[in-house]
Amino acid sequence: MPSNERFDVAISNLSVRYPDRDRDALEAFSETLAEGEVVAIAGPSGCGKTTLCRTLAGFVPSMIPAIVSGDVRLGGESIRGVAPEALATRVGLVQQDPDAQICTLSAWQEVAFGPENLCLPAAEVRARVERCLGELGIAHLRNRVTTTLSGGEKQRLAIASILAMQPRVLLFDEPTANLDPKGIQALFRTLADLVRVEERTLLIIEHRIDALLALGPRLVLLDRGKLVERYPARERIDYAEVGLRGAWSLPPAEATAGSPRIAVDRLSFGYAEPLWRDLSFSLREGEVLAVIGPNGGGKTSLLRLLAGLATPREGTIERAAGTRVGFVFQHPHHQIFERTVRREMELEHPRGTDAVDAELREARLEGLEGAAPLSLSFGEQRRLTVATTLARRPNLLLLDEPFIGQDRQNVLWMISRVRETIAGGGTAVLVTHDIPLADALADRLLYLDRGTHLLGVPDEVFGRLRELGETAFTPEAWS
Amino acid sequence: MTGARGLRRSSPMASFALLLCLVGVALAVPSVVVEGTVLLVTVAFAAVSGERPIGFFRRLRFVLLFALVLFVAQALSVHTGHAVVAAPVQITAGGLLAGARMALRFLVILSASALFVQTTDPDRLAQGLIRMGVPYRYGYLLILALRFVPFFQDELRSVREAQRVRGIEVSVRSPRRIVHAVRYTFVPVLVSGLHRVDSIAISMKGRCFGLHPKRTTSREAPQSGWSLVALGVGGLVIALAFAAARGRWI
Repeated sequence: MPSNERFDVAISNLSVRYPDRDRDALEAFSETLAEGEVVAIAGPSGCGKTTLCRTLAGFVPSMIPAIVSGDVRLGGESIRGVAPEALATRVGLVQQDPDAQICTLSAWQEVAFGPENLCLPAAEVRARVERCLGELGIAHLRNRVTTTLSGGEKQRLAIASILAMQPRVLLFDEPTANLDPKGIQALFRTLADLVRVEERTLLIIEHRIDALLALGPRLVLLDRGKLVERYPARERIDYAEVGLRGAWSLPPAEATAGSPRIAVDRLSFGYAEPLWRDLSFSLREGEVLAVIGPNGGGKTSLLRLLAGLATPREGTIERAAGTRVGFVFQHPHHQIFERTVRREMELEHPRGTDAVDAELREARLEGLEGAAPLSLSFGEQRRLTVATTLARRPNLLLLDEPFIGQDRQNVLWMISRVRETIAGGGTAVLVTHDIPLADALADRLLYLDRGTHLLGVPDEVFGRLRELGETAFTPEAWS
Repeated sequence: MTGARGLRRSSPMASFALLLCLVGVALAVPSVVVEGTVLLVTVAFAAVSGERPIGFFRRLRFVLLFALVLFVAQALSVHTGHAVVAAPVQITAGGLLAGARMALRFLVILSASALFVQTTDPDRLAQGLIRMGVPYRYGYLLILALRFVPFFQDELRSVREAQRVRGIEVSVRSPRRIVHAVRYTFVPVLVSGLHRVDSIAISMKGRCFGLHPKRTTSREAPQSGWSLVALGVGGLVIALAFAAARGRWI
């Protein structure tokens, strides 16, 4: 919606403090987003990125209580005291978890929901819905029940439903979190068009700056609520030096392949129809297998089968005697049961207070022993579930998207723990969409898609993927 | 709607009226024959709507199990009429009748509700209610409630799998274990549900929900006139059933 008036977002001296917290989530933050600009916000977990987005969209303090000072102006007009529903045609927020923002039961109705609330004529609502479904490449899903969509499809639907409001500023909270590499590329092509053709302003929170390069964003780094650095668009950044994810250069693992740990023979799995057939592989002690592939390709299902939580349609899975399975689920809150962090750890260490203290220190959770685990941030909950899983000393470690929402430091901590496990004779199977990380960490790769699977050392699998034209799943697409 | 059969083709308000009729009659008339007939009518509606009776009851197997528990509990605790079994426990004809009535009533309510949920598009139902004058905020409450059913099913499955992986045993064999089971199963699911409610509230406000007293209806909704007739007929059937029961016509 280009206009003759400039629609800059001017943030001046913005501070936000949540009740019962001893420091500001955002402290004296000032920045101006010019109309049509793409700005990426990065920084460690808990640095205030999500708070910034929620404040710009008016949810803080209107729906999420907090003390807010400073000012935010949209096109020169202050948003102080403006309700979020009155801001929604100017600022649209796509939240991190798409499943948590879908409020209707059909894809078409979900996109129509916002325009209908605006009391637009029915014909205009229908036109907007069809246009947005088409722009996100999900027109074929229009009659699908929302609860049956895959994570990536839900993500695109959530974005389409915000685009249908035609806001001039779009805020994205980790849009790549649930998308496969191809989905990420397609999303950013769409966003690039929105910026180029319609001069929308984009503010994107992202840990994976490598995924954003195609948009050429200006980068703003936050730490503990404060702005610490700005980088102009298209400036080359040393990811490791500034603490961002990307450009992984890991030392070689110390483990060597030992005895067989698990053997999968002619495995088939699926629901109404098989996702894949005749999958066979075996893993030895000291090996790391990374599983990559499109959304809905059966990666999580494979982990559930390896853990014994699901039954294959056909084929067998044999685990070596003495195998202890540790499974880190994609959503940490499913694995949290106790009232405090300490008690959660003590579920695994019934008598070992010292061991619990040591584990919490390593997971950078010291000082949070008495906190309710479900009140922790996503990153802290994830570290807690990794710590509780590893406390069982598993020798078959299964990790489902462990790096989502994690900053570089947390990723490196997890990698060190995975490597400790395999150095002690364990085996790890890791599902991830972070291709450069999979390349750096895994001994072997398994690419899983409906009806297709490729298995081998990373170079071999990437070579086959290039031949198949699936370049989004190769490391060079992210450098 | 192409290829849809039975209740799947009908207006959501007509389906709602049928649900009211079936449940209303079963509640109004304390008769095994009437309740059994209503249950058969429900299964017949399921069959004409494309639901195979075996599949329909397989999905309701926990309901059937609970109905059996209700029947046994009533049969063992109600001691009226002549004794059918005297030892080791006393079972009377009155107890068996009370058990059958309660189990059938329970089955009718749950199976009719399940049939309604399986055959009705909640979006269309909500639109129908809104067109009849129900404020749209309440219409959307219905959609949100149904949106949460699969969510809670998925959450429960994930939490149970997490318990298995962590070696947490959950059973209901003693009061202490029941408390333990509630804490380790329902608390995580409930907390997750509350977080979800917060996020959905943000999502709805972020798309102007509640900004105006009215909102556009961009999909064709069922005719409210016919819906009123369907609801009226449903209400009449229930009233007749109550009157028949009070006048002991049945």
